[in-house]
Amino acid sequence: MSDDSGLWLLALGPAGATALYWALYRYYRNTDKSHAFERETAVEAQPVTGSDGKVDEIKGTRASRISGENGGAYRMRVQRTPTDDG
Amino acid sequence: MSDQKTPAPTAPVTGPGSPQDVPPVPGSLPIDPATRPEPIRDELLAPDPVAIDTAAAELKDGLNRCPKCGATEIRPKPGTDLLVCLYCRNEWDGARVEEAFGFGEGLDQLRGTVIASGARDIAADAASLMTFKCTACGAEVTVNTENAMTARCHWCRHVFGVNEQIANGAVPDAVLPFHIKKDDAVARIRQFVDKRRLFALKAFKEQFTPENVVGVYLPYMIVDGNASADVAGKGEIKTREYTRGTGNDKKTYYDADIYQVDRHVDFTVDDLPLESSTERGNLDTRVNTNNIINTILPFDTKNAVKWNASYLMGFTSEKRNQDVEHLRPRLEDQLLSIARAQVESSVRRYDRGVRWEQERLDVHGTRWVSMYLPVWLYSYHQPGRNGGLLHYIAVNGRTGETMGSVPVQQWKLLMAALTVGTVLEGIALWIVAASS
Repeated sequence: MSDDSGLWLLALGPAGATALYWALYRYYRNTDKSHAFERETAVEAQPVTGSDGKVDEIKGTRASRISGENGGAYRMRVQRTPTDDG
Repeated sequence: MSDQKTPAPTAPVTGPGSPQDVPPVPGSLPIDPATRPEPIRDELLAPDPVAIDTAAAELKDGLNRCPKCGATEIRPKPGTDLLVCLYCRNEWDGARVEEAFGFGEGLDQLRGTVIASGARDIAADAASLMTFKCTACGAEVTVNTENAMTARCHWCRHVFGVNEQIANGAVPDAVLPFHIKKDDAVARIRQFVDKRRLFALKAFKEQFTPENVVGVYLPYMIVDGNASADVAGKGEIKTREYTRGTGNDKKTYYDADIYQVDRHVDFTVDDLPLESSTERGNLDTRVNTNNIINTILPFDTKNAVKWNASYLMGFTSEKRNQDVEHLRPRLEDQLLSIARAQVESSVRRYDRGVRWEQERLDVHGTRWVSMYLPVWLYSYHQPGRNGGLLHYIAVNGRTGETMGSVPVQQWKLLMAALTVGTVLEGIALWIVAASS
């Protein structure tokens, strides 16, 4: 994309149009809104416990973030381990 | 075509376990729990779901009388939690359920499933129409619990309310009276729409009459919970950042350490609201705008008062059709989300982020209370494919929080986007031409 002569600038028009469309559409329709129960419910939590152990290292990756990052996506469910009741 | 299902084995006609067998004594178990392994014994001996009785015995006949003069013409006083007698102007207050039934206490001690009597399962054969026999004149008064909870005897003007926690799920444990008055709600809706007029659908703007807003009591389950959650995944910490190449070919590379991250958190939640009507609980924004009604949560549910149909005079209501077990998956999903939000601050050191791969939830105890919550609703039906789309603008009847969905005039919005896109593209072309 950013190899030479600023040809990527040509994407500015379509990108700007799409961004404006979505921004306005969301402002009117608010389809992305819902009750933020994670913040707005009274939760009393004990101190978080846990463990951290180094398992591997990576060299020379070009990605600036971990792949599949979901630390902030609270509502995205991952594999559920069953509860073993005894 | 030919694979026919094997029929289930039929129950024996006679002998042990058949309907001819003498039924066991109520409360007795066919097996001795003491001889069983611990998990089975615990399950056998676990108490049945506890029900907290929130029914008001004094209101059982459907008549809510003024404590001073005995009249039944009782209304809620707008903007307060008071009831007022229209005959002698006596005012009185409903008891707060929080204190009356101790709903706010002992969350960390919650075990099993505790259900208040208004949140019990709806009987399969329950009807929506309730008929009362007027004790004054003998006439029959019918209340349709789908959308109303009070009716007036057309002969002697007694007001009847559905106060008994009957099996049809219409009568909750508690009700939160409206605080935001209609004028206030109208002003808030008008303000919300005024900020979104430019690209709004023409027909919507023409027909916009916020005075048509209706006060609706919507059914919710208010859940307290005591749970533990575990999450496991990978986290990465950057150890080095460097660039290779020269000039335009410069590229950034990173080295990182990968960690296995496990977290555990014990927590309690207080008053988590869940929609207990299937229709309102469906938050699929492609087919409805119920997410708007969901957005105006939460309510100050601590102030809810004991159920009394007189609070609903002049308002419509929606009936609950979901039982505790239907809502449990949704609760677990929300508890897991809360747990994930709780552990987030403990993984800040992973500057390249974390990827949770597994999660686990142990729900130790839950307490379910059925409640009617006040919402001012303005709706607009936008015609279209598949029956169109119903747009809501909702105002929280307690806090005044307003959220809405305004239908857009697609061609106007597209024109605006294309115009801005064309201008940006023009600038881009000019820069490219000038630099080459």
